[in-house]
Amino acid sequence: MASIEVRNISKRFGETQAVNGVSFEVRPGEIFGLLGPNGAGKTTTIRIILDIFKPDSGSVSILGGEMTEEKKNRIGYIPEERGLYQDIPLERCLQFLALLKGMTRLEADSSINNLLERFDLVQSRKKKVKELSKGMQQKAQLITALAHDPALIIIDEPFNALDPINTQMVKDLLSEQRDQGKTIVMCTHQMNQVEQLCDRLVLIDRGKVILHGTLEDIRKRFASNNILVRSLNKLPAAFPGVEAIEPYNGQYKMILKQDATPQSVLKNLVEEGIMLEEFEIAVPSLDEIFIKVVKNKGEENE
Amino acid sequence: MNKFWEIVRYEYTRHVFRKRFIFALLSLPLIILAIVLVIFFMSYFTSDRTPIGYVDHSGVLANPIQLPESTNIFDPLLQMIPFKSEEIAEKALQTDEIQTYFILPEDFEVNYSVPLIYYEQPGEKVHNQISQFVHQNLFAGEQIEFESRITEGTNFTLQSPSGEQEFQEEEWYNILVPFIIGGIFIIVVMTSGGYLLQAVVEEKENRTMEIVITSVSPMQLMAGKIIGNISVGLTQLIIWVAFGWLAFALGGQYIPFIANLHISTQYIVRCLLLMLPAFVTVAALMAAIGATMTESREAQQISGLFTIPVMMPYWFAIPLMVNPDGSVAIFLSYFPLSAPVALSLRMAFTPIPLWEYALNLTFLVAFAIFTIWLAGRAFRIGLLQYGKRISLSQLFRKEAHNE
Repeated sequence: MASIEVRNISKRFGETQAVNGVSFEVRPGEIFGLLGPNGAGKTTTIRIILDIFKPDSGSVSILGGEMTEEKKNRIGYIPEERGLYQDIPLERCLQFLALLKGMTRLEADSSINNLLERFDLVQSRKKKVKELSKGMQQKAQLITALAHDPALIIIDEPFNALDPINTQMVKDLLSEQRDQGKTIVMCTHQMNQVEQLCDRLVLIDRGKVILHGTLEDIRKRFASNNILVRSLNKLPAAFPGVEAIEPYNGQYKMILKQDATPQSVLKNLVEEGIMLEEFEIAVPSLDEIFIKVVKNKGEENE
Repeated sequence: MNKFWEIVRYEYTRHVFRKRFIFALLSLPLIILAIVLVIFFMSYFTSDRTPIGYVDHSGVLANPIQLPESTNIFDPLLQMIPFKSEEIAEKALQTDEIQTYFILPEDFEVNYSVPLIYYEQPGEKVHNQISQFVHQNLFAGEQIEFESRITEGTNFTLQSPSGEQEFQEEEWYNILVPFIIGGIFIIVVMTSGGYLLQAVVEEKENRTMEIVITSVSPMQLMAGKIIGNISVGLTQLIIWVAFGWLAFALGGQYIPFIANLHISTQYIVRCLLLMLPAFVTVAALMAAIGATMTESREAQQISGLFTIPVMMPYWFAIPLMVNPDGSVAIFLSYFPLSAPVALSLRMAFTPIPLWEYALNLTFLVAFAIFTIWLAGRAFRIGLLQYGKRISLSQLFRKEAHNE
């Protein structure tokens, strides 16, 4: 049974078709990426999944059916518009939000204490939320999504306003949550941030799904016959099996001929006595894939 | 259900244990106490306790019966000192031994004229004590209670044909009751309404709506907020009533006027019953306004408009009193926001049949339920329209719930 099943949902706001026939499913225990550029319809999709908006057409099944009040306790959500009660102490804000997730006072306190420690916020627990830095508020927001030990975590733009250290911490945390069997949906336009994390993903643009599947499958589909090489020697201008050699970020990008394989090229390189520092099969990044797909679509439309 | 109580608790404690609230709570009783104390000391220190002298040529006061000891500290019993002649009394007056003296001439019992001699005009209380003293001795042997009844004149009791309502002229202070109840109502409703408004707008300003709405239902949230903030107002009300009761209980021991006050409990209960639905109505309307506004400052200004209909009966107090069954009075007592004060005023001046009262109350309750519905709807629609205002037509449009 899928944790989330989105079936052909559409939503229009006035003149704008925010979501247009989007379908995908999220499986239990995976990190799922809901990706796309700004304005692609990601947040609207999330809001429809969470029953904040009703779709114009299509349907959503979450944790095995329609959204209920009881299910809300099993979902942790960090909206794109981050929100905490600014005018009260951090501890009280977190406690109240945890109680709204159906926790008892005792459970809430112990869970929040653990997380405050983990996020290095113990010193600030008595401070008013508005007195905390942006990064601290971001961490506090994460606590609100995790405190009640939800089965499903949905995070809109998880890396907003985080420095590299905290970004890494969040990534570790999300991997850890997945290892504990939680299902995680990440929604972001920073595709480079999530490619190592996501098990599966859906890429949407202008309200429509343009890619859907495992990261591996998608990469394979868009894999080009390219090799990246770093070498101490200067590479010859022409090489057997290679169509062209271009400098690429201090490396060389070798575009292979149709019938050549990376193995044969490597063999030739070694035989030629070229000192290799690095030899890598070029894997396209999600950004590259996205740009490629969107460009192709654009061409198709023209 | 638990979540609902958590919201009630959150909203309640957030205000009640704040300095600002405690200050507001205590300021009214303290201001009243200060005023009372000032009046108390003024009248205490300005009342002259110097004895009164008299010269009796008529023999009425030959064996004077003294007035009973007074329990009123503002009107202490003044000593009455007899003098043989006007000359001796005059000397005593000059040396301030007495503050004034009166003379009962030989022909007193023929024309009942009593000259009063003084340098500084004595107060009303001195006049009263002298006339009581003289009356008492004049009527010596007669029924005293009977005598006071005669001197005070007739006390009319105005009664409705059914006997359900009556109004005694002597209990004039009952007129003040609707004014006082109305005043307290306005203050309390504005405080909790204001808090509620703030609570809803803050949910928007803090952008917590999405988190809250994925935790509880909008109705739970709104109901929790309304009940929580109304409880804040009721706390204020209860504490003020407790202060008032305490003041009455303490004051009654010293001031006979207060001890003799007779206010109809039934009347007060009827007034309070009217206030409850009106209270919910105003609160829910404030919440609805809060949901449609984006800034608390803006919302606060709009909410000021609510004070106008609530206060309206006071502007029309004279027509209401003169003609409690006139069209202005009827209109104001059916208009939901002005009803509690208007109807309380009318009930004080004219008998209102029970059916009319019940009709009014039902109407108010129905309207209160309608406004809660409206508030829930406004919240649902206003939910994610950060920075956008909702128009009134949007609130009533049918498809609105989709957004």
